[in-house]
Amino acid sequence: MDQTRRQFLNSASAVTAAAGLSVSSPFIGRSYAQDKKTVVLASMGPVTGNWDPTSHTTLGQLSFESFIFSHLTRSPMQEGKADEILPDLATSWKLIDPNTLEFVLRKGVKFHDGKEFDAEDVKATMQYASQPSRPAAAWYPGPVDVEIVDPHTVRLHTEKYGYPASAYWFVASFLPMMSAKDVADPKTLEKRPNGTGPFKYIETNGDKNIIRANDDYYGGRPKIDEVVYAYVPDSNTRVLGLLNGQYQIIERLEPEQYQSLAKNQNVVVHRGLSTENKYLHFRCNKKPFDDVRIRQAACHAIDRQQILALIGDAAQASNCYVSPMKWGFIDIPGYPDFNPELSQKLLADAGFPGGKGLPQLEYITSIGFYAKTKEYGELITAMLGEQGFDVKLSVLEPAAWEQAIYRRADGQGPGHMCDVGWITGSPEPDLVLRPNWYSKAALICGVNDPEIDAVLDKERNASTPEERLKILQTETFPTIAKKVPSFSLFSAVNFHGMAKNLKGVYFFPNGPIDLAKAELT
Amino acid sequence: MIFALDFFLRRLSQGIVIVVLVALLIFTLLRVVPGDPVRIMLGPMTAPSVMEATAKKLGLRDPIPVQFGRYLLQVAHGDLGHSFIRSAQGGSTGGSRGGNTFDTENRAPVVELIRSTVPYSLLLAGLGVLFSLIIAVPIGLAAGLNSSRWPYRVALYLSAVLVSLPNVWLGVVFILIFSARTGWLPAIGYQGPSYAILPALVLAVELAPVMIRAISVSVAANLLENYVAVGQVRGLSRYRMITWHVLRNASIPLLNLLGVQIVGILLGSLFVVEYIFNYPGIGLLMINAVFQRDFPIIQAVAILACTVLVCINILVDFAATNIDRRLQY
Repeated sequence: MDQTRRQFLNSASAVTAAAGLSVSSPFIGRSYAQDKKTVVLASMGPVTGNWDPTSHTTLGQLSFESFIFSHLTRSPMQEGKADEILPDLATSWKLIDPNTLEFVLRKGVKFHDGKEFDAEDVKATMQYASQPSRPAAAWYPGPVDVEIVDPHTVRLHTEKYGYPASAYWFVASFLPMMSAKDVADPKTLEKRPNGTGPFKYIETNGDKNIIRANDDYYGGRPKIDEVVYAYVPDSNTRVLGLLNGQYQIIERLEPEQYQSLAKNQNVVVHRGLSTENKYLHFRCNKKPFDDVRIRQAACHAIDRQQILALIGDAAQASNCYVSPMKWGFIDIPGYPDFNPELSQKLLADAGFPGGKGLPQLEYITSIGFYAKTKEYGELITAMLGEQGFDVKLSVLEPAAWEQAIYRRADGQGPGHMCDVGWITGSPEPDLVLRPNWYSKAALICGVNDPEIDAVLDKERNASTPEERLKILQTETFPTIAKKVPSFSLFSAVNFHGMAKNLKGVYFFPNGPIDLAKAELT
Repeated sequence: MIFALDFFLRRLSQGIVIVVLVALLIFTLLRVVPGDPVRIMLGPMTAPSVMEATAKKLGLRDPIPVQFGRYLLQVAHGDLGHSFIRSAQGGSTGGSRGGNTFDTENRAPVVELIRSTVPYSLLLAGLGVLFSLIIAVPIGLAAGLNSSRWPYRVALYLSAVLVSLPNVWLGVVFILIFSARTGWLPAIGYQGPSYAILPALVLAVELAPVMIRAISVSVAANLLENYVAVGQVRGLSRYRMITWHVLRNASIPLLNLLGVQIVGILLGSLFVVEYIFNYPGIGLLMINAVFQRDFPIIQAVAILACTVLVCINILVDFAATNIDRRLQY
């Protein structure tokens, strides 16, 4: 049969097109079962590639792990009830003596791989995770010895390490419990998370992590069948995804987005005080902020009411070094207030009347990570300028800012002031106080003050929580406020958006979201 | 044939020099600008001594020429390195790790990451070019054929409006109108080819004005050439003159436009559009890598983009010499 070239080309194209349609393509997405209740959570924080909870201190993975791992206790951290602790994997706990804390464990709990949870898992977890070489050892007050009294009773012994066992009173609600079998096999521990939580890990697909309801969860099988934890770094994209129904929960809204979504009939917004305070850290190990008078002068030059007015819903006033959601919070008497005259007097006493003779000070802040840091950075710069401080504001994108704020191996850091927020889990205040102001750490400000060290050690070594609370509120916080190695500007607020038909969600103030009792109506 | 061989040998050797120079520039800039990948990897609470030890283990404290030489050798063997951040088992980004997490076999090969994301970007880019041609060709042709009448003015004003629309804003507006408000199209991420439509429309809006102007100018210029009048005098109809001769001659500068300018615009726009739509292509991979200072991914994507541009440039120039042999050199 004669065929022209044109006819041949046409028929070849048709055959190729038909073949192409019949071959499965990476572009054809899977359809989801209509009857499966799936919640897609758009997170701004990524996860790491290492599923060992002790291998990191990142917010995104901490939030994700809270679905999978349980803790000995649970701290809801509700406003006004920061000291409330509820049973979780432990049903009761008591201080036997100042260096011994006993936990009685819940029976009938299983890990996601089927192994029964018991005392050996607590021992393996805590003795492993508290080793100083583990990156997340910072969550632990120090190394700890765990005694197995019986299969469902453990005692934490801290005498050998020089700190009281009560240091675990609150932080036990933040330490994820791992299987002893996994701890003994680091490669398995890293490859997949295996906890006792309401959801179990299924897989990671690019920037999406998929978990499914744990049928054997001791608190009752969640009504949500599946959670997709998606890393979505852009806040506008998260909001739009909520509006078009692709996401059911989004986190880290900007204040303006919160206000817009609050008017939308199809979504629900949540506003809650977080465990984060925003600080203006002074580099205390270099001039001129090695002089406490200069630091105090700077604090008295700053009108925090103006900053709060600028930030609006995203901040709450507080006069303390920890958030009101942390145990021990108190509005510190004598906390530095806006007082230009006192600022001038302090500058003159320090030998810099009107700020004359002070070097130019670099103030490092970020953009795109917290709300309005550039804006209130400019405001603070102007306020300091009014008192004679010559300040240069450096606004950095998050990766550059993160490199700049922490002290290097030589103990120094760039600039003279840094704007940083600090958010940690559990009501335990030492997770904020010691990394920031204890001289052996002082990760940012580099303060080395024996008085501050002494009051931090005193509160940590208190033998009972009542005694510790008294020392914190009457000695520790006032001392730090007097020395001002850093200036706490305000307590930060978290904003979340949710689909209207999602009920029963609990938002922890440090970031994790509890969907164990949630449902899609 | 001899010309083709000579052409490709000459241009490919020039291209290799360009790619190496671009690679050196990107490599050096990454290590000089602020932002420490080790800090991002290890998280905020890690001791400085641990960070230094990790950086040394990753070779980040060696002199830059030494690091670059090592990298070039690796690339010459087809190995684009392993991500600092993404693990071999598929974890996303960021965070601190334990001792052997930095071992090569635990970190995702960059080649695999690129291979898994390129098909999505190709789909998006292809759809974007298709949509822009659908918009630009009829408008550009009408404008070029009627250069003193209203179609030309409409094309001019439309191009000016479209080129003024920032793609970041347009993407957000499209998602809001066509997805959130009306539910006509899906928008975020990827769960099927329909997810590429909205981002492709944003790309098309960006590409179309350039195409409209180029088509209209090229067609209008060719209509003024002597051969058009001579052809018609010789008995060729206006329709045949335009479709068989004017369009062919007008296509040479368009080839250059499509090959180089459009690909260049696409490469830049893809990053932004994929980020806004959370579309899992190479653009989103690159932007996340920049945020997290994932040097191996940034380097590899930059080298790939440069190589693609150089190759397209070579192919376009060669095609032009085949259309008009006067362009051979």
